[in-house]
Amino acid sequence: MNKTYTDEDGFRYYVKKTELFSTKSVVAIGIGAALYSVLSGVAIPVGPNTSFRIAVALLTIFGAIFGPVVGFFVGFVGHALNDMIMWGSVWFSWVFLSAVIGLFGGMITLDKSFSLETGHVTKKHIFKMYLYAILGMIFAGLAAYVGDVYFYGEPAQKVWIQIALATATNFVVTATLGIPIILGIAARKRKYSNLKIED
Amino acid sequence: MSRAGTLYIEKNSPIHKIDGSIKFILLLVWTACVFLFNDFRVFLGFFIFGLALLKIAKIPFKSIKPLFIFIVMFTIMNSIFLIVVTPNYGSTLTQTTTSLITIKGITLSLETVWFAITLSMKYLAVFPIMMLFIFTTHPSKFASSLNKIGVSYKVAYAINIALRYIPDVRDEFKNIMNAQAARGVAFRKEDANIITRLKNYNTILFPLVLSSLNRVEIISNAMDLRGFGNKNKRTWYSGQKYGPIDFITSVLMVVLLGVAIYLKIYVLKGFWYPFK
Repeated sequence: MNKTYTDEDGFRYYVKKTELFSTKSVVAIGIGAALYSVLSGVAIPVGPNTSFRIAVALLTIFGAIFGPVVGFFVGFVGHALNDMIMWGSVWFSWVFLSAVIGLFGGMITLDKSFSLETGHVTKKHIFKMYLYAILGMIFAGLAAYVGDVYFYGEPAQKVWIQIALATATNFVVTATLGIPIILGIAARKRKYSNLKIED
Repeated sequence: MSRAGTLYIEKNSPIHKIDGSIKFILLLVWTACVFLFNDFRVFLGFFIFGLALLKIAKIPFKSIKPLFIFIVMFTIMNSIFLIVVTPNYGSTLTQTTTSLITIKGITLSLETVWFAITLSMKYLAVFPIMMLFIFTTHPSKFASSLNKIGVSYKVAYAINIALRYIPDVRDEFKNIMNAQAARGVAFRKEDANIITRLKNYNTILFPLVLSSLNRVEIISNAMDLRGFGNKNKRTWYSGQKYGPIDFITSVLMVVLLGVAIYLKIYVLKGFWYPFK
């Protein structure tokens, strides 16, 4: 939404409000969470109560398009809703795992030169995206570990194995599905915005 | 499951009449109380009390059954994994070791088995209240009730949108999947091995993401045109006023929390082990 102010000269200016949730990010969180919930149906178990889910790729994609706040909430709302609808119980420490992955997926948008809208994605940005993905996995693992051990009272050793498995599969999903799709979107946008001045 | 993908069941019971926000706080308080303890007796108490509430809410066991089976399977898997990975964990809590079996120098202690049972009971103790919340709270009232307890209405609205669009997105997912399958992309077990099938999901994900981005564009434009987010507050079509039952529930909730904290500090401090 816009706010207006009138200058001393009598000109009226429209300024875009800087707010945490614009309408677009509210909708993006909603649709992203719905997508996450639907795609969570595609899961292949890799370990005890740990599974390979392509839905994780979405967190990085929505993060890179709409920013870290949207990434965080897509993970949080999507995971919690899906747990609630599908299983009837919400495992909060792993909800935070998804949320933190989304948060770090959105860190790339803090880089001012990164612009998915015009398809401006360089090699440096791709490298950064992988770096943020790895960082995100580490912090997400920590969040899940703290929650599981101190809140749910699970033995640390067991949680480590689950987190290691989950982190490995999540990273594979992000690296092979999430980031290539972001690059695909950038390539599509570039098609419509690569006008050059002819000599 | 209804088309909206939610489990809400319409019934006339006192539990249904409690406001969604109060039930949500009750869910949080209940969960916090359960997680304070490490005591089988407390968990059993919560579990039985929860079942009684489910009975009052007239939720048929038939509809809870699949979820109940899932949580039982989950806790069994969890317990087996826990016992295999840390066969001696319970002993570190009780400082005693009662050996059950010893295989290749690794001792499985009775304490660990009891700890696994306690932990399973802990998850079961949270189960009834979760069911109560899911089966008796209307999804659109849930969003408005979240707003009432101080969650920003934009977050509440995002949750509302998610609930609203789950069926649409699911239909779209199926359409794209069928379209790709018609082109000869394998998704079923008989058609290809697991790695190929996983790779094939890529062909669904990309169009699905693109169409969802279009959807975001359309919906956010429509909402902007109607002035969404212009004011700091908004009202809800399905919003309700608090009634007497909500106040009674709130008071009981405070009592529950008080008793739980008292018990935690003075009576049931640590891990309860009956076979000393």
